[in-house]
Amino acid sequence: MAGYGLSWAYLLPSLAVFALFVFWPLGRSIYLSLHGSDIFGGAGRFVGLDNYAELFTEPRFLKVLGTTALFTLFSVVPAILGALALVLLLEAQIRGAKVFRTIFAMPFAFSVATASVVFSIIYNPAIGIANGLLGQLGVDRVHWLTSPDLALLSVSATTVWMNLGYNVLVLSAGVGAIPQEVTEAARLDGASGLRLAGRITVPLLSPQLFFLVVVSTIHALQSFGQIHILTKGGPDEATTTLVYSIYENAFAYGSADFGLASAQAIVLMVVVLAMTAIQFGVLERKVHYR
Amino acid sequence: MRRLALLAGAALLITSCGSGGGGDAGGAPAAGVLKDKVTIEFWHSMKGANAEAINQLVADFHAKFGSKVQIKPVFQGNYDETVAKYKAAVQQENTPALIQIYDIGTRFMIDSKQVVPMYKFFDVDKYSTADIEPNIASYYSVDGKMWSMPFNSSTPLLYINKEAFEKAGMDPNKPPKTLDEITKYAEKLTVKDASGTVKQYGFGSATYGWLLEQLLATDGQEYCDKGNGRQGLATKVQFDSASGAKVADWWHNLVSKGWAVNVGRKTDDGQAIFKSGTVAMHLESTSALRGYVDAAKQNGFTVVTAPYPKLSDGSKGGPIIGGASLWINGVGHSDEEKRAAWEFAKFSATPEEQAKWHVGTGYVAVNPKAYDQEVARTWAAQFPQFATAVDQLHSLPPSTASAGCILGVMPQARQASEEGLEQSILGSKPGAQAMKDAAASLSRAIEQYNQSVK
Repeated sequence: MAGYGLSWAYLLPSLAVFALFVFWPLGRSIYLSLHGSDIFGGAGRFVGLDNYAELFTEPRFLKVLGTTALFTLFSVVPAILGALALVLLLEAQIRGAKVFRTIFAMPFAFSVATASVVFSIIYNPAIGIANGLLGQLGVDRVHWLTSPDLALLSVSATTVWMNLGYNVLVLSAGVGAIPQEVTEAARLDGASGLRLAGRITVPLLSPQLFFLVVVSTIHALQSFGQIHILTKGGPDEATTTLVYSIYENAFAYGSADFGLASAQAIVLMVVVLAMTAIQFGVLERKVHYR
Repeated sequence: MRRLALLAGAALLITSCGSGGGGDAGGAPAAGVLKDKVTIEFWHSMKGANAEAINQLVADFHAKFGSKVQIKPVFQGNYDETVAKYKAAVQQENTPALIQIYDIGTRFMIDSKQVVPMYKFFDVDKYSTADIEPNIASYYSVDGKMWSMPFNSSTPLLYINKEAFEKAGMDPNKPPKTLDEITKYAEKLTVKDASGTVKQYGFGSATYGWLLEQLLATDGQEYCDKGNGRQGLATKVQFDSASGAKVADWWHNLVSKGWAVNVGRKTDDGQAIFKSGTVAMHLESTSALRGYVDAAKQNGFTVVTAPYPKLSDGSKGGPIIGGASLWINGVGHSDEEKRAAWEFAKFSATPEEQAKWHVGTGYVAVNPKAYDQEVARTWAAQFPQFATAVDQLHSLPPSTASAGCILGVMPQARQASEEGLEQSILGSKPGAQAMKDAAASLSRAIEQYNQSVK
C-alpha cells in the first residue's frame, strides 16, 4: 500500500500540470460547447447539442473539414518525402555534405511568423520576387495567394519549407544511428544506390519516418500562424482550416462565439485522436524497430 | 473588486438604459475626487510611429498632471485583438480604466454596460464639445449624446501616382470623381510590355470592407437598418443593395479586364503595391499618407491626393470618419480612476496635443483648432497633400449615412462584406448574389447579439 501512495506522490506533479492545462480546459471547452455565448464570450443559456447541429448542417463547415484534410496532405507528404530524398542524397558521400545538411536544416531556425512574413512578400502578386523571376522568363503574373485555386497550395508550400528543416534533422540523426556494419555488409553483397536506400536505409529509418508522420499530421491539423499571416483564411475561404475557423468564431472580427468555437475544438480533438489512432493501427505494424 | 462591480451593477439598475438602448456604468465623478496619486492603465492599438506619439502624449500629460495621475499605456495588438482581450478582461473583472476602441466597436461598448459615457463628464465639467469636429463627434453619438472621446480619426482618399498620369498624357489634377470614371481612367493607365505582362495597373487596393462602407456613404446609403443603428438595435445590414452590388461588379470588371490587380484582403499588401509605384490609382485612409510620401520619394514618383470618389454621378453623400475613440470603464473602477481617465481623455483633445498627434501620426485632428498651431502649419506646408483630407472632412454634409452604422457585430459585418466582394472579384458569383449571400450570412450573429443584450 505504501508503494501505491509513493507512486501517486511521484505522479502528482505531472498530474497537477495536466489537470491545470489539459483536463480543466478540456472540461471547460465541452461545457462551453453546450452553451450559447453572451457578448463577452461567456457561457450563455444551455443549448444542448445545438452548436454541433449548427456545425454539421452548415455546408461551410464541411468545406472547412475538406480544406483541413487537403492542407494536411499537401504539407505533410511532400515535407517528409522531400526530407528523405535530401538525406539520402547526403548519404552519397558528396563533398561538403555537412554544409548542405546545415543549410537544409536551416528552416527549422525560423519561427512560423518570420517565415510567413518573408513568404508573404515573396508571393506579392505585383512586387514579389516569385513573380519577378517568372516575369524574367516571360511568364505572366501568378496569383499565389489571391487565387482560390492556388492559395492552399502556396500556403502548403510555405509549410513544407518550414517543416523540411526539422524533418531533415530527425532523419539525419536516424541515418547516423544505422550501424556501419549493416550498410557495409549490404555493400559487400553488391547493393548500392537506390537498392541500398530502398532495402536497407529506408526500412531502418522507419521508426523516424513513423514519428514524423504522426507528429507532422498533428502539427498540420493545428497550423495557424502561416494561414493567419499569408491569407487570413481567404480568398473566398479557400484556406480556412478547422483551427482557423475556430479562431474566427472565437476571436476574430470582434466575434465572441465561444460556444460554436468550442464545439469545433472538440471536433478537432476527435479528428486528431482518430488520425493518430489510425496511424498507430495501420502504419506502426510496418515499422521496423531495432 | 467584486463588491465594486456589484455596487456599479446596482447603480446601473437605478440609472439604467438611455433611449438608445445599452447602458452605462454609473455617474461621472467631479474633479474633487482626485486627492492621492492614482495610476491607471490605458490599453491601445497603436504601433510604430503612432505608439511613439502616444508615449509623447503621455509624457506631456505627466508633465502637467503627473503628481496626481499616472498613465500606464499598454499596447494590446491590433483593434480586433484589443476587443478580444477586452472581452476576456470583462469576464475576469479586470478591465483597464481607459481603452482605445475602433469606431466599429461603438455599439458593442455601449451594450457592454461597462462604461461611463463621456457626456456625463461633459455635464459635470461644463465641458464644451464645440471644439470637437462635428462630423467626427456624430459617429460616437447616440441621440446626440457622445459616448466616447474621439481620439484618432481618418478619412478615405483617392491616391494618385502623378508620374503615371503624366506618362499617359492625363492631368493628375483632374482626378476621377466616380467609380465609372475610375474604370475609364484605369484602362488608360494600365501599361503592358511587349509580351503582354502588366507593368502598371490602373487601379489597385486591398479588398477592404471599409472602402465599401465609405462608398455606400457617399451614395447616401445607410449600411444597416434602424437609421444606421442609431434609432435602436439594427437588425440587418444593407450592403446587399443595388449600390453594394454595383461596387462588387465594378471591382470584378476592373480585375477581369486586367486594369486592376487583386491583392487580397490585407491592407498591408494593398499599401505595398501603391508604394512600389505599380498602381496608378489607389483607395486608402489618410493615415497612410505619410508612409506613401516617404516611399514615393524612394521609388521616384510623386503622390497626389484627391477626394474619395463617389459611387455614381447622382451620389450626394460623403464618406464616414474612420478611426478610434477613448472609452472610460466604470465597472470595477474607483471614482479616482474614472476621473483620472477623463482627465487624460480631455487632455488628449486639446489643440496643442491634437496638433502634435496629427503631425506625429497623420490622423486628422479631432479638434480643428489644432490646425492653427505652429507645428501643424509647418507640417501642412510640408505635406500639402493632406489638405485634401481636411477639406473633405469640413465639406462633409452631415447625415445619418455619413455618421456610419453602429452594429454590435459590425466587425463581422465588415468581414462578411469582404467575403462578398472577394467572391465577386474572383468571379465565383455575380456581384448582387455575392453581396446578398454575404449579408444573409450575418443573420445568426446579429440575432444572437441582439438577443444577448436585450
